[in-house]
Amino acid sequence: MTRNTHAPNRRRFVRSAVASSLLMPGILSEILAADSAEQSNPLSPKPPHFPAKAKSVIFLFMSGGVSHIDSFDPKPKLIEDHGKEVVFDHPETRNRPGYEKIFLKRPDWKFSPRGQSGIEVSDLFPHIANQADDIAFIRSMHTSHSNHYNATLGMHTGSFAFARPSIGAWMSYGLGTVNQSLPSFLVLAPDMPYAGTQVWASDFLPGAHQGTRVMPGSEPVANLVRRVPQSKQQELELEVLKAFNASHQAKRMNDPQLAARIKSFETAHGMQTEMPAALDLSQESDATLALYGLKRGETSGFGWQCLAARRLVQRGVRFVELIHTGSSGNWDSHGNMADHGRLAPQVDQPIAGLLQDLKQQGMLDDVLVVWTTEFGRTPFNNTADAPGREHHNWAFTSWLAGAGVKRGFVHGATDEHGIRATEKPVHVHDFHATILHLMGIDHERLTYRHGGRDYRLTDVHGHVVRNVLS
Amino acid sequence: MNGLIGSLRAIGYVLVVLIGIGWSCSAKVCAETDDAFFESKIRPLLTERCLQCHSAEKGKTQGGLALDSKLGWEKGGDSGTAIVPGNVDESLLIQAVLYGEGLQMPPEEAGGKLSDAEIALLKQWIQHGAHDPRTSASKRGGMTEEQLRAWWSFQPLKPIAVPDVAETGFRNEIDHFISAKLESAGLQRAPEADRRTLIRRVTYDVTGLPPTAAEVEAFLADTSPQYYDILIERLLQSPRYGERWGRHWLDLVRYADTAGENTDHPIPDAWRYRNWVIEAFNSDLPYDQFVREQIAGDLLHANDTQEKYRQGIISTGYLAIARRFDHDIDKFTHLTIEDTIDTMGKTFLGLSVACARCHDHKYDPISTKDYYALYGILNSTRYSFPGCEAKQQPRDLVPLQSDAQWAKINEPFQVQLSAIDAELKTLNETLANQASDFQSQSSKSMSRLAAGQIAEGANHTLAESAPSNADSLTKIDVKVGQIVQLTIDPSGDYGADSTLVEWEIQELGGASRKWNLVEDLLSDGVAANPHKDSYNNEATWLLLDGRKSLSLLPEKVVQLSGQPGLVAWRMGDNPAVFANTTDKPIAVWTSLPAKTLFVHPAQDGPVAIAWVSPFDGHVSIRGRIADAHPGGNNGVGWRMDFFAADHSTLLKQMIAANSQRPVLMAKRNDVVAQSPVREFAYAVTEGMVANAKQHLRGDPEKLGDEIPRRWLELFGGEAIPPSAGSGRLQLAKWMSDPSNPLVSRVLVNRIWQHHFGKGLVQTPNDFGTRGILPTHPELLDWLAAKFIENNFSIKSMHRVILKSATYRQSSIQPLTSIIETAENIDPNNNLLWRFDRRRLTAEEIRDSLLAASLQLDLKPAGAHPFPPSSTWGFSQHGPFAAVYETNKRSVYVMTLRNRRHPFFGLFDGADPNASTPQRQVTTVPTQSLYFLNDPFFHTQSELIGRRVMLQSETDRRLDVLFQIVFQRLPSDAERGTAANFLSSYMSTVVDQSEQDAAIFAWSALTRAVLSSNENLYLD
Repeated sequence: MTRNTHAPNRRRFVRSAVASSLLMPGILSEILAADSAEQSNPLSPKPPHFPAKAKSVIFLFMSGGVSHIDSFDPKPKLIEDHGKEVVFDHPETRNRPGYEKIFLKRPDWKFSPRGQSGIEVSDLFPHIANQADDIAFIRSMHTSHSNHYNATLGMHTGSFAFARPSIGAWMSYGLGTVNQSLPSFLVLAPDMPYAGTQVWASDFLPGAHQGTRVMPGSEPVANLVRRVPQSKQQELELEVLKAFNASHQAKRMNDPQLAARIKSFETAHGMQTEMPAALDLSQESDATLALYGLKRGETSGFGWQCLAARRLVQRGVRFVELIHTGSSGNWDSHGNMADHGRLAPQVDQPIAGLLQDLKQQGMLDDVLVVWTTEFGRTPFNNTADAPGREHHNWAFTSWLAGAGVKRGFVHGATDEHGIRATEKPVHVHDFHATILHLMGIDHERLTYRHGGRDYRLTDVHGHVVRNVLS
Repeated sequence: MNGLIGSLRAIGYVLVVLIGIGWSCSAKVCAETDDAFFESKIRPLLTERCLQCHSAEKGKTQGGLALDSKLGWEKGGDSGTAIVPGNVDESLLIQAVLYGEGLQMPPEEAGGKLSDAEIALLKQWIQHGAHDPRTSASKRGGMTEEQLRAWWSFQPLKPIAVPDVAETGFRNEIDHFISAKLESAGLQRAPEADRRTLIRRVTYDVTGLPPTAAEVEAFLADTSPQYYDILIERLLQSPRYGERWGRHWLDLVRYADTAGENTDHPIPDAWRYRNWVIEAFNSDLPYDQFVREQIAGDLLHANDTQEKYRQGIISTGYLAIARRFDHDIDKFTHLTIEDTIDTMGKTFLGLSVACARCHDHKYDPISTKDYYALYGILNSTRYSFPGCEAKQQPRDLVPLQSDAQWAKINEPFQVQLSAIDAELKTLNETLANQASDFQSQSSKSMSRLAAGQIAEGANHTLAESAPSNADSLTKIDVKVGQIVQLTIDPSGDYGADSTLVEWEIQELGGASRKWNLVEDLLSDGVAANPHKDSYNNEATWLLLDGRKSLSLLPEKVVQLSGQPGLVAWRMGDNPAVFANTTDKPIAVWTSLPAKTLFVHPAQDGPVAIAWVSPFDGHVSIRGRIADAHPGGNNGVGWRMDFFAADHSTLLKQMIAANSQRPVLMAKRNDVVAQSPVREFAYAVTEGMVANAKQHLRGDPEKLGDEIPRRWLELFGGEAIPPSAGSGRLQLAKWMSDPSNPLVSRVLVNRIWQHHFGKGLVQTPNDFGTRGILPTHPELLDWLAAKFIENNFSIKSMHRVILKSATYRQSSIQPLTSIIETAENIDPNNNLLWRFDRRRLTAEEIRDSLLAASLQLDLKPAGAHPFPPSSTWGFSQHGPFAAVYETNKRSVYVMTLRNRRHPFFGLFDGADPNASTPQRQVTTVPTQSLYFLNDPFFHTQSELIGRRVMLQSETDRRLDVLFQIVFQRLPSDAERGTAANFLSSYMSTVVDQSEQDAAIFAWSALTRAVLSSNENLYLD
C-alpha cells in the first residue's frame, strides 16, 4: 500500500461541480469533503488486499503475563513431575541469586475437556471454557523478550525495543474506517499499561491512526463533553464558525484541507453524541447485561469494556482494544498464583459473554476476537512449593475467535511440561501476520516509507498461521 | 527421542539412496554441461525451496545467508560458508537439508524437509564443484561503483549558471530557477501576496508567533522602499526566532526530557542542550561549526575559555540525548549507539546509515563495515547515564568546568575551609587531651556507689540495686567540683539500646535544694551540653561519651528521626542522650512517653551523665532506670560512681574549649553555603577507546571482525589516526566538511522546506536512492553553494529565500483558468505556481493562544521541576510520568518519550523517539473536539474575550478581536454575522447578569474566530 497520490481529474471534476453549485454551500462542503476524504482524510475506508474475513477486531490484552499452564495449556506430566529439578538457561533465572536450582511446579487449577471439541481448559476460566467450541487456541505462542515493557511493546508493535506503530494503527492505516463519527482505533484502558501510550501510538504513521484512549467515567474521550451549558449555544457557535469559514473558503475553493477541517467540526459535533450513545448501555436488555455479568447502571469494569467494545464494532470502529488492568496490580503473579484467582473472575464471564453476544447478534462472522497476554509464566520456580511463577517468554497461549477462524480448534503445542513451544511454534510476528490476513491484509504489502525504509508491522518476519484459518 | 531416531534413520536412508545415485549417475552428469545441470536441476530447486527466505535481491537473507548468487553462498551466513565445493560433508547447506542436529532447512512452515531426490541433487552438484553461473557485480552496500558515481546527491557541487527566463518581476536568482521550470511547463507564478498576508506569513515563519496589531499597522504604513527587508531583519534579530527554528532542529534530533527506557527516567540537565540549540540559532552560529560542536564540542574547546568549554560540553548533549533501552540500559548500549548513528546519518547527511547495522544497506552505498567503523567511535565515547530501573541514579554527568577551572573557582573557598578545618583539628586535639585528663583524674579518685543489671524490658530504682552498701546513695559528702556519674554500658550486650533514666539529687539540710535531671534538662529543651541547673549554676550536668575518654557529646539534633520535640545530643548515631520534650508520647522505634529522657550507649562503649557538685555539703540520690525498648533480649547494665577529685579547673577548660566548636562549625557551614556548586551537563566525554567488532546480523553477542574506526567509505573512508582518542574530533570535521556535497544540500533543503512547506527534495532525511529526486536540482545546488559562500550562515539563507518573489507570491491564483491548467499539470504544486497554504503547528496554535490572551511568558525556561534524583525509584510498573503546566513557549514544555503530551500528540507534534524531519498534518475530529470543549482553550478564549471587552462598543471590540487573531479588521458582512451571533447567544443565557452574558457570548465568539480556518491556516 502506498501513500495517496493526487488525482487531478477527480479534483477537476469536483471543482467544476463546485462551480455550478455555489448556491448550495452545504453540498459544496460535502463534495469538497468527500474529495478531501480521498485526498487528505487518512481514515476514509480503503479496500483490503484480498477479500477480508473480518471487518473489525476486538483485541483483549491481559497485562502482566497470564500463566498458560494454569489456564489453556493442560500438562498432566507437569503434575506428575512436580518437584523434579530441571536445568535451563532461562532469561529470568540466569545468574539470579536464589535460582541456582529450579524445580517443576504443577498447575493450581484443574483441567477438563469442554464442549463438543473436548478441548481442555482449566477451572481458572470456567465461562470461557464453556465457549471453547468457538475458539482457536494457539498453545505454541512464543515471544522475544521476558520483560513486561518490551514484551508488551512487542505484542502491540512487533518491535521489542523501538517505538513503532501499534497493530491497531496499522489496521487503521491499511483499511481506514467506515464510521467517520468515531475514531478508527479505540483503546478501552482504565489504567496505563507497560510502555505507556506507545502501546497504541501511531509513531511514524499519520497521527489520525493513533489509538484514542477511552476511559470509563463521565468523559470517556478527552474533550468529548460539551463545555457550554446548552446544546443551542454550541450550535450557535458552530454556525458562526461555519459562516466565517465559508467567507474564507470562497476565495480558496480548491483547497481540500480547508474543507476537511470544516467537515471535521461537524464530525466532532456528531461524536459528542455518537460516542456517549455507543457507550450508553441503558438500551441493552437485562439478558444482554447478564451475559456480561453486568449490573444495570454499572459503567466500569471489564464487563463494561466488553459490552462497550461490542457496541463500538457494531458502529463500524475498525479496531477496539481492551486492556485488563495496567502496569501494576495485574496478572504478574510472582508472589502467589492465587492472584490469578482474584483476577480471572474480573474477565472470565465478560469475555465469554462477549463471545456469546457476538454470536447471538450474528456478528461473530464479521468480528475477530483476539485474546492474548505479553508472555506466559514459568512451569517451574526455585522451589517446587514456591507459590508464584516468573515471566516466561518461551511459551504461552493466545486465542482467536470469530471471523475466518476455526472453531473448537487447537494449534501447536508445548513440550510435556509447557516449557517450550515445540509443535508449530507461533511467534508474535506470525500472530500479527495472521490477524492482518484475517482482515484482508498481506502483512508483507502493508508498508510505510519512513526514513528511507519501508516499514512493516512484522518487520522482516512473520508467517500466516494458515492452520487456524477456517 | 523419536525425532532424533527419525532423523538418523532418514540420514541412513539418504546415504543409501545417494550411493546408488552416485554410482549410476556420475557418467551422465559429466556428460551434461555444468551450466545445463545447474539451470535444469539446481536453480529451480533453490528458487522453489530456498530463495523465499534466502534472497539478497528480495531483501530476505535469513540467518545472513543469500542463495541467489554464488557470492552469497561463498560468503555464507552467520554460521559460516554454506557450500564447500567438492566437499559434501563440510557443506553446511547439506547438513541443514539433512535435518541433522543443528539447522533444519527448509523449516516446517516453508514446506518442510526436501525430498530425498532433491537432497541427492544438491549433493551431486556440490560434489562436482558447485558450479554456479550467477555472479553479481561488486557492490558497495546496495550500489555498484557505477551506480554510486552516477547518483545525483553524491556528485560534487558544480558552478550553476542562473537560467535566463522571459518573465520579469524577479527579486533574486531563486525566481529565475523557479520561473524557468514554470515557463517550460507553461505555468506562471502567482502575484505577490498583499502586505497583511505577508507579515502574517513571515512572522509565523520566522518566529512561530503572529504579528501584533501595532506591528501590522507599522508595516502597512511603512513607506520605505526597504519595508520588507526591514521586517525580515527585525524578525531575524528577535529571540523568538531561535525558539521557532531551534524547534525544527530539536524535531530532527528527537529531543526529549526523558530517557525512553522502560521507566522513562527524567533527564534534569537535558534542557541545557535545548537552550544551547535555541541560542545557536539566535546567534547564527555557522552551520558547519554548529555540527562540529554537537559531535565534539568538549574536545574542540578543551583548552578554550571557560565559557566556551562549558558551551562545548553542553552542545554534545546532542549525542547524550540518544534514546535508552530496556531494564538495564548498560546492557543495551548497542541500541543507543544505533539510535545515535541513525539520527546522525539522517540529520547531517540525509542517509539512513543505521540500516547497515545487520546487513549491508540494501539500496545505498553503506556497508556493515561502515556502520561498525562509526560504531567504534561512539562506543569509545562515554555518554552520561540517566538512570534506569536496575540503576536508579544518574552517573557520568559531565561537569561544566574542567577540573583545573573548577579548582580555580573553588580555591578561595577551599582555602577558607582548610583554615577552619585546621582550627577544628587543633580544637579536637585539645578536647581529646582534656578528655583523657578528665578520665585519668576521675578514675584515680573513683568509688562505686551502686551498680546493677536490669532484665529485658524491666526497670528498677537505683536503691534496689545498691543492697551491699545502702548508705552509699542516702548520704554522700560532696565538695565543689566533685562528680557523681551514671554510666550505661553496652558491655556483654547489655544496654545497647534505649534506656530511660530518672535521676534526682537532694541536698541534705541547708537550703534543701533539688537537682532533677529530667526537669533541669527539659526546662529549655535540652538546649546545651554542659547544662545548667535550676539555680543558674552553669555546667552542673554533663552528657558524656563514655568510651575511650570522657568527652562531651558534641552534636545536637533538634528533630531526631524527623520528630519535632525529640531532641538529642550525640556522637555519630550513638552514644546519645535524647529526650521527648513534648507533652505527648512519641512513637518511633519504641514508644517514648511525654517529658522523658533516655540514653543510648554505643556498640563499643558506654554513655554517661555526670552531675558536678556546685556546693560543699551532703546529698542523697534517687533514681530509676528502665529498659525502654524491650525486644532485643539484652537488658541494661549500669553503674553509678563518685569522683572525689576536684574537677573544677579542668571542667572550666573543657567547657571553654567545647564552646568554640559550634562557632567554628557555623563558620564552616557559612563558607560551604557560599561555595560555588559544580554544575553538570547531560553530555559526553571520551570513553575507553577501542575499535568495535562487527555484530553479526546485528547481534552484539555474535562478534565478527574488528573494524577500524574510520569515515564512511563512500566519502573516502579516512582512518582515525592512532592516539587520536575516540575519533569524535575527526568525525565532527567529516560531518561538516564543505567538500561533502550532502552537508550543504541537506541543510539548505531543510531551510527551504520550513519556508515553503516542502523541500526541493521532498524526503528531507533521505537523499539516498530511496528518496525522492529534487524538483529543482540546479536551484538546490545554487543554494548550497550560496550557503557555503556565506560561511554557512543560516540567517543569510533565510534572507535569500524570504526576499525571493517565489516566497512572496500569493497562495491564491486569481484566475480560474490558470488554476485549472496548473492543477492539471502540477497538482502537487511542485513547481511553485503558488505559495502552499499550511496549517499552524501545534506549537504555533498554543503559543498564539497564550499570546492573544496576554498570558505568554516570553522568558526562556531553565530546568523542569523534576523530583530530586535522590527520591527516584521508577519501575516499569510505576514509570516516571508528569505533565508540567507552563505559560512559556511550547519549545520549553517538558517532553516525555514514553507518553505523548496530550496536546502535542493531538496536533501532530514531533515524535520524541525518532528524527522528525517534517511534521505530518492530520485533520481529525478529536482536534475539533479540542476547539469545542477543551478547558484550557476555553479559559484562554475567555481571557481574550475579556481583553476585547475592554472596548465599550461592539464594533471596536470586533476590530480588536479580528486584529488580534486575523491581523485585519472585519468586513461589514462579518460585523453583521458577529452581531447576530452575539444577540442570539446572549438571549440563550438565562439567570445571569447582562455583563456575564456578554462575557459568555464574547468568549464563544472568540472560540469561533480562533477555531476558524483563517486562523489555523496560513496563506
